[in-house]
Amino acid sequence: MNFVNRAFLYCIRQKVKTLILFLVLAIISTFLLTGLAIRDASEGATEDVQTAIGGKLFLEIDPTNQYDSSQDGYGMTYTYNGDYITAEILDAISKVDGVVDYNSDNPRGFWGAGVDFEYLPAAFNLSYTPYGESSAYTAALSSEKSSDFESGKYSLVDGRHITPEDKYVVMISKELADYNKLSVGDSMTMYCLDSDSNVKLEIVGIFDGTEGTSGNGGFSVSDIPANCGYVDYTTMFENFGRKIDGYTQIDIYVEDPVSIQNVYDKVKNLPELRGKSLKLSIDTDEYEVVQAPLETLRSLVNTIIVIIVVVSSLVLTLLLTLWIRGRKKEIGVYLSIGKSKTGIIGQFFVETVTVAIAAFAASVFFGGLIAGKASEFLVSRVTTGAATLNVEISAANLLPLYLIGIAIIAASVVLASWTAFRLKPRDILSKMS
Amino acid sequence: MSIMEIKGVRYSYDNKRNVLKGVSAELDAGKMYTILGPSGCGKTTLLSLLGGLDSPSDGQVLFQGEDIEKKGLAYHRKNNVAFIFQSYNLIDYMTPAENVALTSKLPPLPILERLGLTREEAKRNVLKLSGGQQQRVAIARALASDASVILADEPTGNLDEDTAVEITNILKECAHQMNKCVIIVTHSNELAKQADVILKLRKGELQITDIPDTDMRKGWKR
Repeated sequence: MNFVNRAFLYCIRQKVKTLILFLVLAIISTFLLTGLAIRDASEGATEDVQTAIGGKLFLEIDPTNQYDSSQDGYGMTYTYNGDYITAEILDAISKVDGVVDYNSDNPRGFWGAGVDFEYLPAAFNLSYTPYGESSAYTAALSSEKSSDFESGKYSLVDGRHITPEDKYVVMISKELADYNKLSVGDSMTMYCLDSDSNVKLEIVGIFDGTEGTSGNGGFSVSDIPANCGYVDYTTMFENFGRKIDGYTQIDIYVEDPVSIQNVYDKVKNLPELRGKSLKLSIDTDEYEVVQAPLETLRSLVNTIIVIIVVVSSLVLTLLLTLWIRGRKKEIGVYLSIGKSKTGIIGQFFVETVTVAIAAFAASVFFGGLIAGKASEFLVSRVTTGAATLNVEISAANLLPLYLIGIAIIAASVVLASWTAFRLKPRDILSKMS
Repeated sequence: MSIMEIKGVRYSYDNKRNVLKGVSAELDAGKMYTILGPSGCGKTTLLSLLGGLDSPSDGQVLFQGEDIEKKGLAYHRKNNVAFIFQSYNLIDYMTPAENVALTSKLPPLPILERLGLTREEAKRNVLKLSGGQQQRVAIARALASDASVILADEPTGNLDEDTAVEITNILKECAHQMNKCVIIVTHSNELAKQADVILKLRKGELQITDIPDTDMRKGWKR
């Protein structure tokens, strides 16, 4: 009778011990499997975040030593006379391999007073134009990629976003539209103090998200978010009061965040950028804000997995040590009939692994029950947001579970057997008699 | 040539207390030997050395003329000798048939039946058998191994007199009919008288006494 047969006989005949071992291994493997599943889910979420946010480069004018100053009746005036991000540069950047899109927005780049409409009133009426006070508009190439829309603070409720091809279009808040009974397709005429002209803009989109921020009033109309909208860059360029040769800043979107350094190098070395007073940097702020809690969670879960492995090994070793000590007589008998120590340890290993295979399979069920709750608890420890993880016990989790589990069992069996096998066969037999 | 031989065997615990002081003996197949002596004189130690459960401090234990250390003690235990213990030492989660199968690839039931167990008893848990039945299973396990030498440590120590007689007779059969070399450690003078040769251990030295085939030996019957 070989050791495998002996192991199976032991498992079948020693039902109570088999059941206890099954429960212990099922508990250990459930925790381990849950930990592995949460770790996988956090890694999956990290990949999703990387895909969703992508990588971003940031190109901006470098104002260092690029200002001319002049004295007039109002005091010192500083004028930037360095390089701008021109259409030629944008074209070159858009052709760089790995670049998927770009955007520029210039907050408060355009100011206009209402000629045929009215702003939501502010605390003070500062009527410094013939049409009352001006409000500020963000000039955007692609308003969809502006930070307030990307973050979800604002969302489009009607019409469309501003695109690089647009000229003389505007997006306004739902509050301002309702206040003036305006809708998509209507036009708005604004007086631009800088160009001292009336500018007619077509409403292409209406957004919400400003609600609840206007009630407090503001010092001026431009302090009220509902009065501030978005215009295209042509509107800003042609009504700025002086000639502008390009954009002051652009976000460059990269397809694969992992290769962002590579794209950075390619953009940096573009001939169109060489010698220009422009600064290029890698913008990872947004990614890091979202990624940080996931990274903390992953680190926490890895620590928990290590603790589970160590504690499991200790518990299993103690349990097996107690049981194997109680089986000294059996060991002595096997040795006296010429069974090898390797075969006897092999029997103990097969016994435990046989039970473990069943326990690990059961842990898929138990893990499924607790994984969701455990992940909710852990996520709540590392983030204050309403973040969730989609934790699923999958076949992919079982392989590491079986590998780690069997390694723990092998180590525990060898350690537990050590105390029994240190003795000579005769000592074992004399102790048992 | 004798099947087993001990040559100048010494054994001491921690190099202080000499239990065996250079004992020598030749042991033949087809004979039953008993080792007699007071408690602590080294009887079980000698049996352990013959069975390869321990190594002598000095001297040699030979099986068919070859030192048992040469092929290894585990090999010797597996192939050359079989043990029978006072407390039977059966594997308690197995049936008699499974215990016998531990040492043999042959079907265990014929061996068990030959030793007086029924088929039904052979499939019970060993702990549900009487002491005498358990010792029969132990003997069956020893016989199933096909070892040439059977080493028995107080095999009748836990048995009533009638059962002890039966077990002794089985062991005699093993020696005389199956040509095994049976070596028994015992305190029992009655059992010792049934042996072909008595090995008396006293103060670490061995005295060998051949017992002639007398009426006294024949009279050991129920």
